[in-house]
Amino acid sequence: MGKTFTKVKWEGPKGIFIISPDLCKGCGLCIEKCPSQVIDWAMETGVYGTFVVEAKRIDRCTACKICALVCPDAAIDIEKKN
Amino acid sequence: MSEISMPLCWRRETKPHQFCPGCGHGLILKALGMAVDRLQIADKVLFGCDIGCSLLAWDFFNLDTVRTHHGRTVPLIVGAKRVRPELVGIAYMGDGGAYAIGAQHLVNATMRNDKVMVVIVNNTTYAMTGGQLAPTTLPGQKTETSPAGRRTEREGFPLRGPEMLAAIAPPGSYVARGSVSRVRRLARLLEKGLENQLQGRGISVVEALSTCPTNWRTNAEDTWKFLEKEMTDYFPLGEFVSPHDRAGGAPKVNGNSRKGGG
Repeated sequence: MGKTFTKVKWEGPKGIFIISPDLCKGCGLCIEKCPSQVIDWAMETGVYGTFVVEAKRIDRCTACKICALVCPDAAIDIEKKN
Repeated sequence: MSEISMPLCWRRETKPHQFCPGCGHGLILKALGMAVDRLQIADKVLFGCDIGCSLLAWDFFNLDTVRTHHGRTVPLIVGAKRVRPELVGIAYMGDGGAYAIGAQHLVNATMRNDKVMVVIVNNTTYAMTGGQLAPTTLPGQKTETSPAGRRTEREGFPLRGPEMLAAIAPPGSYVARGSVSRVRRLARLLEKGLENQLQGRGISVVEALSTCPTNWRTNAEDTWKFLEKEMTDYFPLGEFVSPHDRAGGAPKVNGNSRKGGG
Protein backbone atom coordinates (compact mmCIF):
# COMPACT_ATOMS: atom_id res chain seq x y z
CA MET A 1 0.00 0.00 0.00
CA GLY A 2 1.34 3.38 -0.96
CA LYS A 3 4.79 4.36 -2.02
CA THR A 4 7.78 2.36 -0.86
CA PHE A 5 11.22 3.73 -0.06
CA THR A 6 14.64 2.11 -0.27
CA LYS A 7 15.96 0.95 3.06
CA VAL A 8 19.48 0.56 4.37
CA LYS A 9 19.86 -1.48 7.56
CA TRP A 10 22.36 -1.77 10.40
CA GLU A 11 21.82 -4.58 12.85
CA GLY A 12 22.90 -4.15 16.46
CA PRO A 13 22.51 -6.24 19.60
CA LYS A 14 19.33 -4.48 20.75
CA GLY A 15 17.71 -3.29 17.56
CA ILE A 16 17.89 -2.73 13.81
CA PHE A 17 18.52 0.82 12.55
CA ILE A 18 16.80 1.42 9.20
CA ILE A 19 17.25 4.56 7.10
CA SER A 20 15.67 5.55 3.78
CA PRO A 21 18.05 7.70 1.67
CA ASP A 22 14.93 8.54 -0.40
CA LEU A 23 13.65 10.51 2.57
CA CYS A 24 16.77 11.70 4.45
CA LYS A 25 17.59 15.35 3.72
CA GLY A 26 20.68 15.40 5.90
CA CYS A 27 19.59 17.87 8.57
CA GLY A 28 21.56 16.10 11.29
CA LEU A 29 18.98 16.61 14.05
CA CYS A 30 19.13 12.89 14.93
CA ILE A 31 22.93 13.00 15.36
CA GLU A 32 22.57 15.64 18.08
CA LYS A 33 19.64 13.94 19.83
CA CYS A 34 21.05 10.37 20.00
CA PRO A 35 21.92 9.79 23.69
CA SER A 36 24.48 7.08 22.80
CA GLN A 37 26.23 8.89 19.89
CA VAL A 38 25.38 6.02 17.56
CA ILE A 39 24.64 8.13 14.47
CA ASP A 40 27.17 9.95 12.30
CA TRP A 41 27.46 11.35 8.80
CA ALA A 42 27.76 8.86 5.92
CA MET A 43 29.59 9.28 2.61
CA GLU A 44 26.39 8.63 0.59
CA THR A 45 24.02 11.36 -0.48
CA GLY A 46 20.25 11.41 -0.12
CA VAL A 47 17.24 12.91 -1.87
CA TYR A 48 18.50 16.53 -1.75
CA GLY A 49 22.07 15.62 -2.69
CA THR A 50 23.18 16.17 0.89
CA PHE A 51 25.01 13.64 3.03
CA VAL A 52 22.75 11.19 4.82
CA VAL A 53 23.42 9.63 8.21
CA GLU A 54 24.44 6.12 9.18
CA ALA A 55 24.58 4.09 12.41
CA LYS A 56 28.36 4.16 12.72
CA ARG A 57 28.45 2.80 16.29
CA ILE A 58 25.45 0.45 16.12
CA ASP A 59 26.80 -1.72 18.95
CA ARG A 60 25.94 1.15 21.33
CA CYS A 61 22.33 1.50 20.10
CA THR A 62 19.73 0.88 22.83
CA ALA A 63 16.75 1.10 20.40
CA CYS A 64 15.26 4.04 22.34
CA LYS A 65 13.76 5.40 19.07
CA ILE A 66 14.54 9.06 19.87
CA CYS A 67 16.19 9.43 16.43
CA ALA A 68 13.04 8.12 14.72
CA LEU A 69 10.90 10.50 16.78
CA VAL A 70 12.92 13.65 16.02
CA CYS A 71 13.37 12.96 12.29
CA PRO A 72 11.17 15.54 10.52
CA ASP A 73 11.16 13.44 7.35
CA ALA A 74 10.36 10.06 8.96
CA ALA A 75 13.46 8.65 7.30
CA ILE A 76 14.56 6.57 10.31
CA ASP A 77 12.89 3.48 11.64
CA ILE A 78 14.01 1.29 14.53
CA GLU A 79 13.04 -2.35 14.94
CA LYS A 80 13.48 -3.39 18.52
CA LYS A 81 14.75 -6.89 19.27
CA ASN A 82 13.11 -8.79 22.08
CA MET B 1 7.28 2.16 8.93
CA SER B 2 6.20 2.28 12.50
CA GLU B 3 3.65 4.64 13.98
CA ILE B 4 6.21 7.02 15.46
CA SER B 5 8.22 7.45 12.28
CA MET B 6 5.34 7.94 9.83
CA PRO B 7 1.77 8.32 11.14
CA LEU B 8 -0.97 6.45 9.27
CA CYS B 9 -2.77 9.60 8.13
CA TRP B 10 0.36 10.90 6.33
CA ARG B 11 0.12 10.73 2.54
CA ARG B 12 3.09 8.57 1.57
CA GLU B 13 2.98 9.43 -2.15
CA THR B 14 3.96 13.03 -1.42
CA LYS B 15 7.01 12.14 0.66
CA PRO B 16 9.73 13.35 0.92
CA HIS B 17 7.76 16.48 1.77
CA GLN B 18 8.70 19.94 0.53
CA PHE B 19 9.99 21.46 3.78
CA CYS B 20 13.69 22.32 4.17
CA PRO B 21 16.10 19.94 5.91
CA GLY B 22 15.66 20.27 9.67
CA CYS B 23 12.39 22.19 9.43
CA GLY B 24 10.13 21.86 12.47
CA HIS B 25 6.98 21.64 10.35
CA GLY B 26 7.67 17.95 9.70
CA LEU B 27 7.78 17.28 13.43
CA ILE B 28 4.66 19.30 14.24
CA LEU B 29 2.77 17.55 11.44
CA LYS B 30 4.09 14.25 12.76
CA ALA B 31 2.73 15.10 16.24
CA LEU B 32 -0.58 16.18 14.67
CA GLY B 33 -0.71 12.93 12.68
CA MET B 34 -0.07 10.92 15.84
CA ALA B 35 -2.91 12.77 17.63
CA VAL B 36 -5.34 12.23 14.70
CA ASP B 37 -4.37 8.55 14.51
CA ARG B 38 -4.86 8.03 18.22
CA LEU B 39 -8.34 9.59 18.20
CA GLN B 40 -9.23 7.82 14.89
CA ILE B 41 -10.89 10.92 13.43
CA ALA B 42 -9.15 11.04 10.03
CA ASP B 43 -12.49 10.78 8.18
CA LYS B 44 -13.91 13.80 10.02
CA VAL B 45 -11.01 16.24 9.93
CA LEU B 46 -10.97 19.37 7.78
CA PHE B 47 -7.39 20.59 7.68
CA GLY B 48 -6.79 24.20 6.65
CA CYS B 49 -3.35 25.62 5.97
CA ASP B 50 -2.25 29.20 5.61
CA ILE B 51 0.11 31.19 3.41
CA GLY B 52 3.77 30.91 4.34
CA CYS B 53 5.80 27.79 4.81
CA SER B 54 2.71 26.18 6.34
CA LEU B 55 1.10 26.08 2.86
CA LEU B 56 3.52 23.31 1.92
CA ALA B 57 1.38 21.07 4.11
CA TRP B 58 -1.39 21.18 1.48
CA ASP B 59 -0.66 17.66 0.22
CA PHE B 60 0.81 16.32 3.43
CA PHE B 61 -2.09 14.29 4.83
CA ASN B 62 -4.76 11.90 3.66
CA LEU B 63 -7.23 14.39 5.11
CA ASP B 64 -9.64 16.84 3.50
CA THR B 65 -7.45 19.90 3.05
CA VAL B 66 -8.14 23.50 2.12
CA ARG B 67 -5.61 26.28 1.70
CA THR B 68 -6.45 29.93 2.05
CA HIS B 69 -4.96 33.40 2.33
CA HIS B 70 -2.85 35.18 4.89
CA GLY B 71 -4.20 34.53 8.37
CA ARG B 72 -7.70 33.77 7.05
CA THR B 73 -7.50 30.09 7.85
CA VAL B 74 -9.21 30.59 11.21
CA PRO B 75 -12.42 32.25 9.85
CA LEU B 76 -12.53 29.76 6.96
CA ILE B 77 -12.39 26.77 9.30
CA VAL B 78 -14.83 28.47 11.69
CA GLY B 79 -17.28 28.94 8.79
CA ALA B 80 -16.96 25.31 7.70
CA LYS B 81 -17.42 24.15 11.29
CA ARG B 82 -20.57 26.27 11.71
CA VAL B 83 -22.10 24.80 8.55
CA ARG B 84 -20.99 21.23 9.29
CA PRO B 85 -20.68 20.88 13.09
CA GLU B 86 -19.77 17.20 12.78
CA LEU B 87 -16.42 18.12 11.19
CA VAL B 88 -13.23 18.49 13.20
CA GLY B 89 -11.67 21.77 12.07
CA ILE B 90 -7.91 22.31 12.27
CA ALA B 91 -6.43 25.66 11.26
CA TYR B 92 -2.69 25.30 10.72
CA MET B 93 -0.72 28.52 10.42
CA GLY B 94 2.57 30.23 11.12
CA ASP B 95 3.32 32.98 13.60
CA GLY B 96 3.15 35.64 10.88
CA GLY B 97 -0.31 34.53 9.76
CA ALA B 98 -1.60 34.10 13.29
CA TYR B 99 -0.09 37.05 15.19
CA ALA B 100 0.49 39.67 12.50
CA ILE B 101 -1.85 39.71 9.52
CA GLY B 102 -4.44 37.32 10.96
CA ALA B 103 -4.36 38.48 14.58
CA GLN B 104 -7.86 39.98 14.49
CA HIS B 105 -9.35 36.68 13.29
CA LEU B 106 -7.56 34.69 15.95
CA VAL B 107 -8.54 37.11 18.73
CA ASN B 108 -12.17 37.26 17.61
CA ALA B 109 -12.44 33.48 17.17
CA THR B 110 -11.07 33.11 20.72
CA MET B 111 -13.56 35.70 22.04
CA ARG B 112 -16.43 33.84 20.36
CA ASN B 113 -15.06 30.51 21.60
CA ASP B 114 -15.51 28.88 18.21
CA LYS B 115 -15.26 25.08 18.31
CA VAL B 116 -12.11 24.71 16.20
CA MET B 117 -8.46 23.96 16.83
CA VAL B 118 -5.77 26.44 15.82
CA VAL B 119 -2.20 25.17 15.53
CA ILE B 120 0.36 27.99 15.41
CA VAL B 121 3.93 27.31 14.33
CA ASN B 122 6.33 29.71 16.04
CA ASN B 123 9.76 29.77 14.40
CA THR B 124 10.50 33.44 15.28
CA THR B 125 10.73 34.51 11.63
CA TYR B 126 8.88 34.87 8.33
CA ALA B 127 10.52 31.85 6.80
CA MET B 128 9.07 31.54 3.30
CA THR B 129 9.86 35.11 2.25
CA GLY B 130 13.48 34.88 3.38
CA GLY B 131 13.59 35.35 7.13
CA GLN B 132 12.24 38.81 7.96
CA LEU B 133 11.42 40.13 11.42
CA ALA B 134 8.22 38.58 12.79
CA PRO B 135 6.11 39.43 15.87
CA THR B 136 7.85 36.56 17.65
CA THR B 137 11.47 37.41 16.77
CA LEU B 138 13.51 37.39 19.98
CA PRO B 139 15.24 40.56 21.28
CA GLY B 140 18.67 40.82 19.66
CA GLN B 141 17.92 38.12 17.07
CA LYS B 142 19.32 38.92 13.63
CA THR B 143 16.97 38.66 10.66
CA GLU B 144 16.96 39.97 7.09
CA THR B 145 15.19 43.17 8.19
CA SER B 146 16.95 43.54 11.53
CA PRO B 147 20.61 42.92 10.66
CA ALA B 148 21.78 44.45 13.94
CA GLY B 149 19.33 42.33 15.94
CA ARG B 150 15.82 43.17 17.11
CA ARG B 151 15.88 46.46 19.04
CA THR B 152 13.07 46.40 21.57
CA GLU B 153 12.84 50.21 21.81
CA ARG B 154 12.00 50.35 18.11
CA GLU B 155 10.38 47.05 17.21
CA GLY B 156 8.96 46.16 20.61
CA PHE B 157 9.08 42.89 22.47
CA PRO B 158 8.11 39.51 20.97
CA LEU B 159 4.47 38.52 21.34
CA ARG B 160 3.60 35.69 23.69
CA GLY B 161 0.51 34.53 21.81
CA PRO B 162 -0.96 31.79 24.04
CA GLU B 163 -0.61 34.01 27.14
CA MET B 164 -2.46 36.81 25.32
CA LEU B 165 -5.23 34.45 24.15
CA ALA B 166 -5.52 32.74 27.53
CA ALA B 167 -6.21 36.14 29.08
CA ILE B 168 -9.31 36.63 26.90
CA ALA B 169 -10.30 32.98 26.46
CA PRO B 170 -13.82 32.11 27.64
CA PRO B 171 -14.62 29.05 29.80
CA GLY B 172 -14.08 25.75 28.01
CA SER B 173 -11.17 26.93 25.88
CA TYR B 174 -7.85 25.12 25.75
CA VAL B 175 -4.61 27.09 25.28
CA ALA B 176 -1.17 25.47 25.35
CA ARG B 177 2.37 25.75 24.06
CA GLY B 178 4.55 22.81 23.05
CA SER B 179 7.88 22.41 21.34
CA VAL B 180 9.30 20.19 18.62
CA SER B 181 12.10 19.23 21.01
CA ARG B 182 9.42 17.24 22.88
CA VAL B 183 7.40 15.58 20.10
CA ARG B 184 5.46 13.13 22.29
CA ARG B 185 4.41 15.92 24.65
CA LEU B 186 3.39 18.08 21.68
CA ALA B 187 1.29 15.19 20.31
CA ARG B 188 -0.43 14.89 23.69
CA LEU B 189 -1.20 18.65 23.75
CA LEU B 190 -2.65 18.44 20.23
CA GLU B 191 -4.68 15.40 21.23
CA LYS B 192 -6.10 17.29 24.22
CA GLY B 193 -6.93 20.20 21.93
CA LEU B 194 -8.77 17.89 19.55
CA GLU B 195 -10.60 16.22 22.45
CA ASN B 196 -11.66 19.68 23.64
CA GLN B 197 -13.19 20.31 20.23
CA LEU B 198 -14.79 16.84 19.99
CA GLN B 199 -16.48 17.46 23.34
CA GLY B 200 -17.78 20.80 22.00
CA ARG B 201 -16.24 22.78 24.85
CA GLY B 202 -14.64 25.60 22.92
CA ILE B 203 -11.62 26.83 21.00
CA SER B 204 -8.27 25.06 21.25
CA VAL B 205 -5.10 27.01 20.52
CA VAL B 206 -1.81 25.12 20.52
CA GLU B 207 1.38 26.99 19.72
CA ALA B 208 4.36 24.84 18.77
CA LEU B 209 7.91 26.21 19.02
CA SER B 210 9.57 25.22 15.77
CA THR B 211 12.94 25.33 14.04
CA CYS B 212 14.13 27.11 10.90
CA PRO B 213 17.78 26.21 10.25
CA THR B 214 17.65 27.77 6.77
CA ASN B 215 16.85 31.28 7.99
CA TRP B 216 18.53 31.04 11.38
CA ARG B 217 21.63 29.89 9.48
CA THR B 218 22.38 27.27 12.13
CA ASN B 219 23.71 23.73 12.04
CA ALA B 220 21.92 20.91 13.86
CA GLU B 221 23.65 21.58 17.19
CA ASP B 222 22.92 25.33 17.20
CA THR B 223 19.36 24.70 15.98
CA TRP B 224 18.55 22.60 19.04
CA LYS B 225 20.43 25.04 21.30
CA PHE B 226 18.46 28.06 20.03
CA LEU B 227 15.16 26.21 20.34
CA GLU B 228 15.72 24.62 23.72
CA LYS B 229 17.56 27.46 25.42
CA GLU B 230 16.79 30.89 24.00
CA MET B 231 13.30 30.29 22.62
CA THR B 232 12.06 28.16 25.52
CA ASP B 233 13.39 30.75 28.01
CA TYR B 234 11.25 33.45 26.44
CA PHE B 235 8.27 31.25 25.50
CA PRO B 236 7.57 28.94 28.46
CA LEU B 237 6.01 25.57 27.64
CA GLY B 238 2.80 24.35 29.21
CA GLU B 239 -0.96 24.77 29.36
CA PHE B 240 -2.48 28.17 30.09
CA VAL B 241 -5.59 28.49 32.22
CA SER B 242 -8.21 31.05 31.27
CA PRO B 243 -9.11 33.48 34.11
CA HIS B 244 -12.67 32.12 33.93
CA ASP B 245 -11.49 28.60 34.69
CA ARG B 246 -9.29 29.66 37.59
CA ALA B 247 -10.45 29.20 41.16
CA GLY B 248 -12.34 32.36 42.11
CA GLY B 249 -13.55 33.05 38.56
CA ALA B 250 -12.80 35.94 36.25
CA PRO B 251 -11.34 39.18 37.65
CA LYS B 252 -14.02 41.72 38.56
CA VAL B 253 -14.11 44.82 36.38
CA ASN B 254 -15.08 47.10 39.25
CA GLY B 255 -12.71 45.50 41.73
CA ASN B 256 -10.56 47.19 44.33
CA SER B 257 -7.87 48.13 41.85
CA ARG B 258 -10.18 50.71 40.27
CA LYS B 259 -11.05 52.49 43.51
CA GLY B 260 -9.78 56.01 43.71
CA GLY B 261 -8.23 55.73 40.29
CA GLY B 262 -9.79 58.98 39.13
